[in-house]
Amino acid sequence: MTEYAIETQGLTVYYGRHRGIIDVDLRVGKGEIFGFLGPNGAGKTTTERVLLDIIRPTAGSASMLGLDCQKEGVQARAKVGYLPGELSFYDNMKASQFFQMYHSLQGDGTEATYWQSLADRLDLDTSRKIREYSRGNKQKVGIVLAFMNKPALLILDEPTSGLDPLVQQTVMDMIREARNDGTTVFFSSHNLPEVQAVCDRVGIIREGSLVATERIEDLMKQQLKRLRLSFSSMPPAAAFGQEGVTEIERDGQTVLLEVRDNLNAVLETAVSYHITNIETESVSLEEVFLAYYGKGNGGNHA
Amino acid sequence: MLRLLQQEMRSRRGAIIGWGLGLSFFPVVYLGIYPAVAEEMKSFRSLMELPIYQAMGMTMASFEGFIASTVTNIVPVLLSIYAVITGVNTLAGEEENGRLELIVALPIPRWQIATVKAIAIGIALFLILVIVSAASAFTFLAIESQVETAVTPLDIFFSLLAAWPIVMAVGMISLFLGAFCPTRRIAAMVAAVIVVTGYFGSNLAGMISSLEKAQILFLFYYYDATADALVKGQQTSHMLILLAVALIAYGLAVYFFQMRNLTVAEWPWRKAKIA
Repeated sequence: MTEYAIETQGLTVYYGRHRGIIDVDLRVGKGEIFGFLGPNGAGKTTTERVLLDIIRPTAGSASMLGLDCQKEGVQARAKVGYLPGELSFYDNMKASQFFQMYHSLQGDGTEATYWQSLADRLDLDTSRKIREYSRGNKQKVGIVLAFMNKPALLILDEPTSGLDPLVQQTVMDMIREARNDGTTVFFSSHNLPEVQAVCDRVGIIREGSLVATERIEDLMKQQLKRLRLSFSSMPPAAAFGQEGVTEIERDGQTVLLEVRDNLNAVLETAVSYHITNIETESVSLEEVFLAYYGKGNGGNHA
Repeated sequence: MLRLLQQEMRSRRGAIIGWGLGLSFFPVVYLGIYPAVAEEMKSFRSLMELPIYQAMGMTMASFEGFIASTVTNIVPVLLSIYAVITGVNTLAGEEENGRLELIVALPIPRWQIATVKAIAIGIALFLILVIVSAASAFTFLAIESQVETAVTPLDIFFSLLAAWPIVMAVGMISLFLGAFCPTRRIAAMVAAVIVVTGYFGSNLAGMISSLEKAQILFLFYYYDATADALVKGQQTSHMLILLAVALIAYGLAVYFFQMRNLTVAEWPWRKAKIA
């Protein structure tokens, strides 16, 4: 039995000459909540679609719950709940009819009315036709679809997109409860506070390559530090030009730095200019994320 | 899978009723007016000897010729428009509007999804023809006493129902093009060209003796819309050829739907190999 709910090795997808993802090695442990972060076009959706065998890889392999996503895709998908980023339904159906159809197509042993309790929890009126729903209610339909077969693995693309804050909180609760029941959750989101609140680990993908996979707390502890340094005499402007160090501001006798690397060199430089005080500031996941992408030049957004 | 088929049929319900009733209007009107225009039609006898009418099997001088020229000749062409629309929209359309993503993410092999959709197309086309055939047969029943002919209402019914293989072939070719082409628009354009050349190519090749042999290349060659067919029925071999075309097109649709990357609007040969 594999210990991973998701495992990819050298996973590469090209669309003709265009890059999808490149050499992605990803391991998501069973029972964890894994956040998949990256700007638009970085390769998040491509990765999810390869897992679901919607797109075939150019090279490498992908498996879910120990089953090869391409060769044993049907068996693998039987254990997966999926919420795509762009939802489109059979609009002429009532939500209840759609759930019944979807349940019968999933072919699992979940009780046939479990979707109703999920819909009630999300305050979704299932007696209406889907075409009458707002964007938020359609998102709720998608969430019910993903959870309704009590899957061993949930793949969610922007699960709280279009939802009001109260429902967002409910969805986050549902994700935590699913994890507590042993479900693995793999989700992509642009809502970084939400990722920070719920995820055990995150992977950051940039221009098709997985550039970091860290526990949230490690990522924030190790990858980015914000230091406010006070000096008796201000160092020159170029003093903190080391690689991985960004000077954010200068004010009076203090310098604010973001440090991703070369902390020792920074401290040595600071000592050489007679540092009088040092403070560390907490950084949010969003700031870590932006540091990976460089504000304003966050990679190829194609 | 029955649920998916039910949904496929539900989504086609409006089209079946609309196309069924809309197409019925056509034979109902032509059959209904025949007693009033029968004498006039006989005066067209010399006109109908022109090669173009001969090639198209149009002989309006008799009731059989009139019905063949105006109804059994045209209904399959008009229904082919629906066959193209539904065939192309079934895979390419659903891929473009995003519905397909939720379905292919289910634990169902792609070939089963394509098969259910192909069956739904076949049933929809059949039901439309049943409506048109029944409406035509009942209209003929109403005017039968005013027409000198050996044709029976059942002949009318079955002659129209016999268009199913040709429209099914068009529907399956469109399904295949939807699975093969990167966009719905390209698939629809190619399918429309196949139908138009299939119809006019067959008729025009029939007019030119040196091109007669080329008729076998055109789809509508295998559907007999002449007065003879109204009484004698379609040639079994031609119906089997059309069904074989439909079957091959279905097979190609399944093959390309199975092998291609979905949701990315690309040609199948740009599909990457599974390592």
